[in-house]
Amino acid sequence: MPSDSRILLTLLAAAALFPLAVHDPYVLHIAILVLFYVVLASSLNLIVGYVGEFSLGHTAFLGVGAYAAALLAQKAGWPVWATIPAAGALAAVAGGFIGAITLRLKGPYFVIVTLSFAEVLRLVANNWIAVTNGPMGLAGIPQGFLQDKRLFFYAVLAVAAVTLYLCYRFVHSNAGRGAVAVRESRFVAQSIGINPFGSAMLAFVLGAGLAGLAGGFYAHYITFVGPDIFQFSFMASMIIMVLIGGKGTLIGPIIGAAIVTLLEEYLRDMQELRLTLFGLIVMAVVLFLPNGIISLAPKLKRLRPHAPARPVSADRGVL
Amino acid sequence: MSQTATQPPVLSVEQIHVAYGSTAALHGISFEVHKGETVALIGANGAGKSTTLRAISGLLKLRSGAIRFEGRDIANQPPDKVVAAGIAHCPEERHVWPAMTVEENLNLGAFLCRSRAEREQRIGMAYHRFPRLRERARQLAGTLSGGEQQMLAIARALMSEPSLLMLDEPSLGLSPKMADEVFDVVRAINGHGVTVLLVEQNIYNALDVASRAYVVETGRTRAARPAAALRSDPELLRAYLGG
Repeated sequence: MPSDSRILLTLLAAAALFPLAVHDPYVLHIAILVLFYVVLASSLNLIVGYVGEFSLGHTAFLGVGAYAAALLAQKAGWPVWATIPAAGALAAVAGGFIGAITLRLKGPYFVIVTLSFAEVLRLVANNWIAVTNGPMGLAGIPQGFLQDKRLFFYAVLAVAAVTLYLCYRFVHSNAGRGAVAVRESRFVAQSIGINPFGSAMLAFVLGAGLAGLAGGFYAHYITFVGPDIFQFSFMASMIIMVLIGGKGTLIGPIIGAAIVTLLEEYLRDMQELRLTLFGLIVMAVVLFLPNGIISLAPKLKRLRPHAPARPVSADRGVL
Repeated sequence: MSQTATQPPVLSVEQIHVAYGSTAALHGISFEVHKGETVALIGANGAGKSTTLRAISGLLKLRSGAIRFEGRDIANQPPDKVVAAGIAHCPEERHVWPAMTVEENLNLGAFLCRSRAEREQRIGMAYHRFPRLRERARQLAGTLSGGEQQMLAIARALMSEPSLLMLDEPSLGLSPKMADEVFDVVRAINGHGVTVLLVEQNIYNALDVASRAYVVETGRTRAARPAAALRSDPELLRAYLGG
C-alpha cells in the first residue's frame, strides 16, 4: 500500500527534526528508547505478525547482537559504524541456525523451544567468563564518535529507518505475501507452490538480524552488556508493544513502542504495580481490540491489508 | 480415446493408500489421465475424492502406491515440487485470501515464477480469460461473490501454467447458473490444451464436461467409463452411487 510508505516517511521525517526542537537530554533519552523499541517490536512483528508463530526467544538475537557489538568494540577495537551492522549480521546467522530448528515446530512447541534458546544463551553468557565476563558483564563499551545524545538519536533513527525499510520491502515482496498466505491458509498456500518453511525462514532471519542491530546499538548506548539482556523483561515489553499496537501491520508496532515506552517511563513511580497494570492493559487489548490500537482508526483501515480477516469458509482441518 | 491409448498417460495413480492418522481413507485408488482429457472422479460424500487430489499434490503422504506424472515419480514429493512439475490444485470451497486484492491473489499463484515480466504476462492472460477479474483487480478478494471467488481460485491455479489442473468441487455452493458458467470455463481451459482432473458431487454437470469418469466408492475406484456411457445409463449410475 502506498499510504503505508507515506506514513512511514512522514514519521521518519518528523523524527529527524525532533532533536532540533528538543534539547532536554531526558526527553531525548526517552525518544531514543522509543526508536530502539520500534526496531525491536518491528522485528518481532515479522515473526509474530507475519509468520504467525509466537516467539518468546527474540531476546536471543537482541543479546547476540549486543554481545557481538560489545566484544568487537572492546576486544577487536572495531569502530561503532562497523560493530552495529556486524551485530545485525551475526544475529541473522544465529536466526538462521535457531530458525532452521524451531520453525519445524508449531504452536506451543515453537513458543517453548524459542524460549529455551534464549535461556540457553543467557546461561552461556553467565558462565563463559573468559569471553563474556560472566554475571559481571562487559562494562565500559566504547561509544566511538557517538559522544552526544543527539548523535545517538540519529544513530538509532538510522537503524529504525533501515528496519522499517526492510520490513516494508519484505511485507510487499512476494515472499512477504507468501508468508501471509501461509498464515491465513497454510494448505492453499502449499497448493500453489509456496514452501511454508522457506517464507517463514526469511521472516525469521530478517527479524533476528534487525533485533541484532538493536542489540548492537543498545550495547554502545548503555555502555554495558550483561546476561540480563536475555531476560524475559525485554521479551515482555516487545510482546506488549506488538499486541497493543497491532500485529501483522507495519504501523502497529511503532504505535505500540511509543505508547509502552512512555507508559513504562511515566508509571515508574508505581513500581511493582506497573507490571500489573501492563498485564491488565494487555488483557483488555486482547479481549476488546484483538487487532491492536491500529484497528481503532477506521480511516486507517486500508493500511492493514494483511490484518487477519474472517476466512471465507470455515477451515476444515487438513483441507 | 483411441489415440490416447497408444501414448503413456500424463498422470497415473496406482493403488494408492492414504490414512489420516490411524484412520485409513483410501484403500487402493487407481486411475489414469491422458493428455488433453477431462477426467472426473465422481462418488458420494466421503468417498475419498478430495483426499485423492490432496495425495497427488503432496499435501498428504501415501502409505503405499505410486503416482507418476509425465513419466516421473511424484509420490510423496513436497507440494511446491509438485506445483513446479506442472500440477495445479484448486482446492475445495474456493479458498481465496480475502484480505488481499484480486491482483495480489493472482500474483501469489505464480509464486514459483521469479520473473516479474512473466508474472505480469500471466496476469494479463488471466484477465483475458476472466474479464470480470480485471474489473475487480484492486478489490479485496473477500468482497467478491461466490462465483467470482471460484473464478479467482481457478485463475490463481492457472497462474503456475500447469499442464494438469485439478479442480476440487468447483461448483460447490454456487447457483446453478453460476455453476454452468464455471463449467464453461473448465471447458474453455481444457480447449486450450490443459488436461483437467475434476472432482464433483454434481454428477450430471461433471459428466457433461468430462470425457471419462471414474466412480470412487469408500476409498476405492470401482469403475471407469466414458462419461457418455455413464450419462446415458442411469441404471449404472444408480448401481454405483446409490441413486
